[in-house]
Amino acid sequence: MNWEQITFAPILPTSLIMVLFLLGTAAAIVQYALIRGRLGSSRALAVSILRWIALSFLIGLALNPSLVTRKEHTVTPAIAVLFDTSYSMGQPGSAAKISRLEEAKSLLLEGEKPLLQTLSQKYEVRLYGMGESLKAIEASQVASLQAEGHKGNLTQALKELDKSNSLAVLLSDGNWQWDGKPSVDFPVLTLPMGNLREYRDILIEEVKAPALAFRGREVTVDVTVKSYGYTGLVIPVLLKDGNKLLTAKNVRLPSSPGRVSTSLSFTPEEVGLKSFSLSVPVQAGENLTSNNLTHLSMKVARDKIRVLMVSGSPSMNYRFLRTALKADPSVDLLSFVILRTPSDIINVPINEQSLIPFPVETLFVKEMKNFDLLIFDNFRYLLYLSPHHLESIRDFVRGGGAFALIGGPSLQSEGSFAMTPISEILPIRFSEKDVYRRDTSTGVRFGRGGTVHPITRLVSEIKGDDTDPARFWRDMPSLDGINLVEAKSSATVLLESGEGLPWPILAVSGYGEGRSLALATDYSWKWYMGPVARGEGNLTYLKFVDRMVRWLTKDPGLEPIQITLPEGSGVTGQELEIRVKLQEEGLSPGPRSTISWSVFSPDGLKMESTLKPTGRPGEFLGSFVPPRGGVYKIKVETSSGMLEESVVVLGSVETLDAAPDHHQLKALSEATNGTFLSRSDDLLEEIDSYARRGEGRFIEEKRSPLWATPYVMVLVLGCLITEWYFRRRWGLV
Amino acid sequence: MAGLLAFRPRSSWAAPFPQFFFAQVKYRGGDWDPNPDYVEAITEELELRTSIDGTKERRVTTLSDPDLFYCPFLYMAGKYDFDPFTPQERETLRRFLTYGGFLLAEDTVGAKGFGFDQAFRREMKQIFPKQELKKLANDHSVYQSFYIIGSIAGRLKVNPYLEGITIDQWTPVIYCQNDLSGAWERERSGKWVHECTPGGDHQRASAFKLGINIIIYSLTSDYKKDVIHHPFIKRRQSL
Repeated sequence: MNWEQITFAPILPTSLIMVLFLLGTAAAIVQYALIRGRLGSSRALAVSILRWIALSFLIGLALNPSLVTRKEHTVTPAIAVLFDTSYSMGQPGSAAKISRLEEAKSLLLEGEKPLLQTLSQKYEVRLYGMGESLKAIEASQVASLQAEGHKGNLTQALKELDKSNSLAVLLSDGNWQWDGKPSVDFPVLTLPMGNLREYRDILIEEVKAPALAFRGREVTVDVTVKSYGYTGLVIPVLLKDGNKLLTAKNVRLPSSPGRVSTSLSFTPEEVGLKSFSLSVPVQAGENLTSNNLTHLSMKVARDKIRVLMVSGSPSMNYRFLRTALKADPSVDLLSFVILRTPSDIINVPINEQSLIPFPVETLFVKEMKNFDLLIFDNFRYLLYLSPHHLESIRDFVRGGGAFALIGGPSLQSEGSFAMTPISEILPIRFSEKDVYRRDTSTGVRFGRGGTVHPITRLVSEIKGDDTDPARFWRDMPSLDGINLVEAKSSATVLLESGEGLPWPILAVSGYGEGRSLALATDYSWKWYMGPVARGEGNLTYLKFVDRMVRWLTKDPGLEPIQITLPEGSGVTGQELEIRVKLQEEGLSPGPRSTISWSVFSPDGLKMESTLKPTGRPGEFLGSFVPPRGGVYKIKVETSSGMLEESVVVLGSVETLDAAPDHHQLKALSEATNGTFLSRSDDLLEEIDSYARRGEGRFIEEKRSPLWATPYVMVLVLGCLITEWYFRRRWGLV
Repeated sequence: MAGLLAFRPRSSWAAPFPQFFFAQVKYRGGDWDPNPDYVEAITEELELRTSIDGTKERRVTTLSDPDLFYCPFLYMAGKYDFDPFTPQERETLRRFLTYGGFLLAEDTVGAKGFGFDQAFRREMKQIFPKQELKKLANDHSVYQSFYIIGSIAGRLKVNPYLEGITIDQWTPVIYCQNDLSGAWERERSGKWVHECTPGGDHQRASAFKLGINIIIYSLTSDYKKDVIHHPFIKRRQSL
């Protein structure tokens, strides 16, 4: 101990301590003066000095003297070693014989003196695997690391590293996401894996396509192809719908690595949510082939609903139906009215006739597929159509087209479609006694499916929710002519005659991919003029026709089941949520709801998924986790129908481009004041040099108050006891 | 007298409405029925020449009849001034015509600016204050709906054109001053009631063709304006 180790921390003001000290000294002097006469000078001086010493020590304790001891410590640096375990690390390394991850492992685990072992002996080594996220691992787990995660997020990983690390060593190919910020206070030494010059791959890097397209209108898809190697090679970029090639375009690959862009144009022909594939052929020697193919989804809508209407004669039915169809800007109507039949007299030269030919072959064979809806309105087909025209119409509906038959006297006896291909697609059957009745008027009422079907469920849209739908239809003007037909068992009767036997008036059904409707009257136009006469306007009829057209042409807004897919494509491994809404009135979520939900993988296998009610009436939330990229099919079935949708899931982003990115490694090293290492460097020496900089030293300081030490107390007490002893001996006590 | 009883207007018909029939407006004052026997001949011609299955029955209605709205073809004729329509009648007619009804009106007197002509124009002005009776253009659908009409005539040739009130693409009121129904009127014996002047039988034939065109127009609207008809009609007009 030396005096430098003594420190003072007065517990009283120093001036006060000085005053106390002076008072103590003065008291000792006074004492000396008082006892000098009785004891003599030497004895009085001894007693007073002893008292002064004891008092001085006691007062000196107010200075709070402490003994400070210091001890120096050295801290072992902590090194974080990060193995990139993302998918791209499974690609060939520099030697091309082993993967990048195996190469990284061998650098640390192999050799006479494995680097990891040496580091562990000298430093505190913390090991991490960096796949989708940062994961601490034990040394024993390093050998079994697999390249399987998605592209890592380095920014997040650096933030999660312990701040006490002296440095980090990252073994990676540089193929990860990073925001360019250092995020850590210690240097990061990067050790590159893989070799860009040896990497060979062609991939579809970017696809730009509109999310919404219109049938019959050309769509352009912009594609960027990236290539490593294959400089100058000409390859086709293929755009397919399933196995059907839509279009293709050749591109010449630029110098490696490089990008080339091209545009592919095609005209979608089918309405709905479509999935297309874009691909480039796999070339010999490619490191990765899964990124030669990608998918895109596109909603193809109708720009117009194309309606072909054939009316057997000019009539009020035709005119009001035409009025309703023409009032809808989304409908493109082509109508033919049979103004004269072959038996009618032509008594004027041709230049005075405005009649045009009825191009049946063109309409019903060649151009049939270009229409969405065919309406026969009181049309006596026998005079114009041959069996192959009727077969073409049947095939049109089977393939997804829509057909509506509107009744009238022309459909009697041989004019009916009994025993023709058309009878297959109709929801009604013409009996032997098929007659057209125009003797008494009849009102209408709901049939079996009328209350819930979107065509007849138009009441709330027109009159609000308070109106009784059944009464709404009962109050409609009576029909002055109806066809007496039977509904097929597969049909849904929406309206039936209100008086006498319940003859079906409005019935619907599906046939193949298409839909059909039969309106067994030529007096539905009274549903136009009836409300007008009541002062209600013509909205009822316009909506009625609008709903017939939209239901027949499968307008998604009228589907009993609606599926809302997430915007954009799904991502592998991330949960996809799909909203399902049932339009049926009165159907509420719960165990009683008859809803079936299935998700099928790109291979067509049913996969695990969930469907839960959201709490809102008729609304459900389905979810599944796609394990890989591709087109997943979603199927929802209820008692009223079935709907399928497909959703595109992109593969791991990294699978698109697994090329080593050593520039990013260099940038990281520079940003963190680390070093971009190479395998020829003495790794241990490099790491040592950085570790030494971070080697920690600190001095431990210990403070011991002197008043707490027994020596001081013994000294004080010793002085006082000695004084007391002499005072007693010399007769003062 | 018996004939008048047969055409007695009813407030509501119990029988169903045929797909096509003439519904003639009976109004107050003037002469609402100048050619009572015009229906049979024109309906016969309509059935002979077209695919329309018409009814030779003429129904008489009034503008206060609630079933007016189910009449596909409203016909109104006269020679003389008639009593103004009531506000309710005007509103009914305006509503009927605005929402798709059709009216063929005829001045059968053979002179412009008198009697029925004045009264009818007065009523149309009241019902459609923003629209006017205008001469229909030569390419109006009514001239092309079945025949390509080049000559406008009835029993007389007062106006070489038709007039009409057009709302959007639809002309719900067509007005003729050539006495078409006079040209169509035929006795039960088959004899024409009136001579057609100055063109005789040729003029009568034109009157039937125009009548058929008007009826088809009332049932097909501007069907002949569809694009598919254009090249055919142009080609035939150039023949």
